Amino acid sequence: MWSRWSVEIKRLAIALMLAAACLAATRPRYGGTLRVEIHESPSSPEIFGVPKGFILTTWEAGRRAIFTADDNAPGGRPFLDNVEIQLGRALRDQSVDLELGKTDVVELGAAELRRQAPGRRVWPSSPVRLMALVFGPRIGDARVREALALAVDRNAIHSVLLQKQGEISGALLPEWITGYAFVFSATADLAKAQALVAAIPPVDRSLTLAADDPANRGIADRIQLNARDAHLNVSVVPPTANPDVRLVETRIAFADAAHALAGVAIALGLSDPPPARNPQEQYQAERALLDGFRVIPLFHLPVVYGAGPRVQGGPVITPLGEWRFDSLWVEERP
Amino acid sequence: MIAAVKGWHAVSAALLFFSASAGAADDPGGAAKELARKTTAFAGRGAAVAIVWRNLSSLDSAANQARAAFEDALQQAGLRTGDLAPLVEAKVTLSEDASQYLLVEEASKGDEHQVWISAWKRVEPASTPSGGLTLEKKLVWEQPEPILDVAFPPAGMLVLSPSGVTLYARNGAQWQSQRTVLLTPAKPWPADLRGHLRLRGAGFQALLPGLECDGTADPSLSAECHASEEPWVLESGSRGLLLASFAAARNYFDGRITTQGGQRKNIPPFFSAASVESQGRTWWLLAATDGRIQVFDNALEPSGVSSAQWGSDIAGTDAHCGAGSQVLATRPGDRSQLDSIQAFNVSDRTPQPLTDPADFPGPVMALWTSGGSAATAVVKNLRSQQYSAYVVTVVCGN
Repeated sequence: MWSRWSVEIKRLAIALMLAAACLAATRPRYGGTLRVEIHESPSSPEIFGVPKGFILTTWEAGRRAIFTADDNAPGGRPFLDNVEIQLGRALRDQSVDLELGKTDVVELGAAELRRQAPGRRVWPSSPVRLMALVFGPRIGDARVREALALAVDRNAIHSVLLQKQGEISGALLPEWITGYAFVFSATADLAKAQALVAAIPPVDRSLTLAADDPANRGIADRIQLNARDAHLNVSVVPPTANPDVRLVETRIAFADAAHALAGVAIALGLSDPPPARNPQEQYQAERALLDGFRVIPLFHLPVVYGAGPRVQGGPVITPLGEWRFDSLWVEERP
Repeated sequence: MIAAVKGWHAVSAALLFFSASAGAADDPGGAAKELARKTTAFAGRGAAVAIVWRNLSSLDSAANQARAAFEDALQQAGLRTGDLAPLVEAKVTLSEDASQYLLVEEASKGDEHQVWISAWKRVEPASTPSGGLTLEKKLVWEQPEPILDVAFPPAGMLVLSPSGVTLYARNGAQWQSQRTVLLTPAKPWPADLRGHLRLRGAGFQALLPGLECDGTADPSLSAECHASEEPWVLESGSRGLLLASFAAARNYFDGRITTQGGQRKNIPPFFSAASVESQGRTWWLLAATDGRIQVFDNALEPSGVSSAQWGSDIAGTDAHCGAGSQVLATRPGDRSQLDSIQAFNVSDRTPQPLTDPADFPGPVMALWTSGGSAATAVVKNLRSQQYSAYVVTVVCGN
C-alpha cells in the first residue's frame, strides 16, 4: 500500500513541476493594467480616438492617456481594467522600456525591429500605410511627374531605409486587398525618365519636395538624388514651405477594395472613383486615379507593435492596424 | 499612428449597392474561359498567342486547372498558343485577395496593352478523416455571429448566439431557419461570452451569465428567459454531473460547486470541467483559470495537478477506446493562432494522447460535451472570420 502511494506522490511531484512550467490558458483573464507607449503626441483626445470597449478617464496632453474598461461596452467589458498610454516617446526609448519591463506594448520602427530579442511577440498589421508622392497644382506638365515616377529607385529605399518592411508598390491599394497590385509598375526606368526630362524646358525641371513626417526626411533625400540622376532638380524643403511635391503617408482604413480606394482618393485629394462591381471595374477605377501621375505610390508599409511577456491574447492590432486592446489580457507571473 | 482615412461617407452609400464578387465565376475553369474569350477578341481568330503563367496565390492544383481551361478555350476559338511569332503576348497571374481568387491577364499586342481580371470565390477544403482511432469532425453550422453552443433536439438544430436562440429544421441537405427567440440581457454581455444549451426531452435550457432560458423546440420554438444566478449543469458524458456557479459578467465558473452527491464546495475558479474514468475510479479534471489542469476525486476533493498541457476548454466523452475513457482538450495558445482538439486517455492522472490532433482553421471558442462520444466545438475561422460549429466524435478503431 505504502509503495503504491509513494509512486503516486512521485508522479504527482513530476506532474506539478511540468504544470508549473506551462501555465498556458486559452481563455482570457480579467483585470490588470496594460502599459503602452507611442511616439505620437496628439494635441487633444478627440484626435487620439478611444479604443473599443474603453472610456477615457485621464488625459494629460503630451504626457499620457488612461482608458478604463467600460462595464457597459457594446460587445462586452474588456478583460483589462485599464490601458495607460504614454505619449511622445521616441521609438528607441520605447524599445529600451520594453526590454526593461517598464512597458508592455510599444511601436517598432524599421531599426527597432532588427534589434528585437528572440521570442518577442511582434504584431505587424497588413501593409496599410500607403507612402506616396503627391503633386501640387503647380506641376502641370505630366512629363515631369512621370519622369519623377520613373526615376525613384524604390528597391534601394526599401532595402536600406525601410529595412525591407512592407512592400514596394506602384498601386494605391496593396496586393492583399485587391490581388492585382502587381499590375501597376513600380520599376525604375532611368533612361526613359531622362528622355522625358530632355523634352521639358529647363525652367520646368526644378521642383520642391517635402516630407510630411520628419521621420521620412531620409527617404525624401534619397528621392532627391534619384531625381538628379534623371536630370530633374529637386530641392527638399520643410513641409511648411508649400512644396510642389509632398511625401505623404495615409492609412488605408478599409479591407474591401471599393471603400479603401474611395478613402485613399479622399485623403490624397483625388476625384471620387466610380463604384465597382467586380475586380475588373475596381482595377479600372484605380488605374484612372493614377493616370496623369498626380500621385506616385511608393510603398505599402505595416504598422508594427511589440509586446512584453505579460501580454496575452491579441493580436494588439487588426490587419488594418486598429488597436484591439479589448482582445488582450495580462498575466501576472510570480 | 496615422489618422485613418475618414470622410468616406459620401461614397459609402453608393458602394453598398455593389458587391466585389458580382460577376465572379464559379471555379478556375470558368474564370479562365472568361479571360480566353477576351483574349480571342483582342487577338483575332487564328492568331498566335504566347502565354506566360505565374502563381502568386496559395493554390496549387487549381493553377493547373485554370491553365488547361484557358489554353483549351483559346484553341477551341482557333487561336494558336506558342512562342513562335506571337501576335499577342499574355502574362497570366493567379492571385488572391481575402475573399476571391483572381486570374489577372496582362495582354500586349504591339503598343496596345490590356489588363483583364476574372475571379472566383474561395471555398474551404473539406477535411478527410484518416483510418484507425480518430477524431471525426463534422461541420454542422456556420454564421458571422458568434456561436455559443449548438444542440440537436428532435425538431432540428438549436443555435445559441449572443443575440438569441434559433431553431433550424432540415430541408433536404439544408438547414432552414424556423424561429428565433431573442435574448435581452439587462446589461451588455461580457467579453468572451459563454453560453450552454442543455436538452431535456423536447425542451431545452439555455444558460448564459446572469440569464437562464427554458423553452421547447416542439411544436415550435418558444422560450422564457429570466435573470438567474442559478448554477449551470455541467455534464461529462453520462458519468459526471456537476452544478457550478458561473461568475456574472465574466468568462469562468467562480468555484462554487455542488457535487452529484449534493455536497456544496468551494474550489478554485475554472473555465471547464470533464470527468474521466481511470482504473475504475472517476476523476474530475478542471481547467483552472491559472492555466493548470487541477485533478479532483469524485467527491471533488483536490487530488493534485495534472501534467496536461492543455488549453482552457476540455470535455469528457462516453467513448471507451481501450482502458478508461477519453477527454477532449484544446491546446494551449491564444486566439490569434490555429487550434486543435485532441483526445486523451488519463491514466494515474497523466494524460496519454489517443488520437492525432484534429486541426481547426482558428481558435476553439467553446467546447461542450454533447452526449455519447461527441462534443460540440465552436471555432472562429481566422480567414473567413465566420464562426463554425463542429460535432467532434471519438471513433474507436479496430
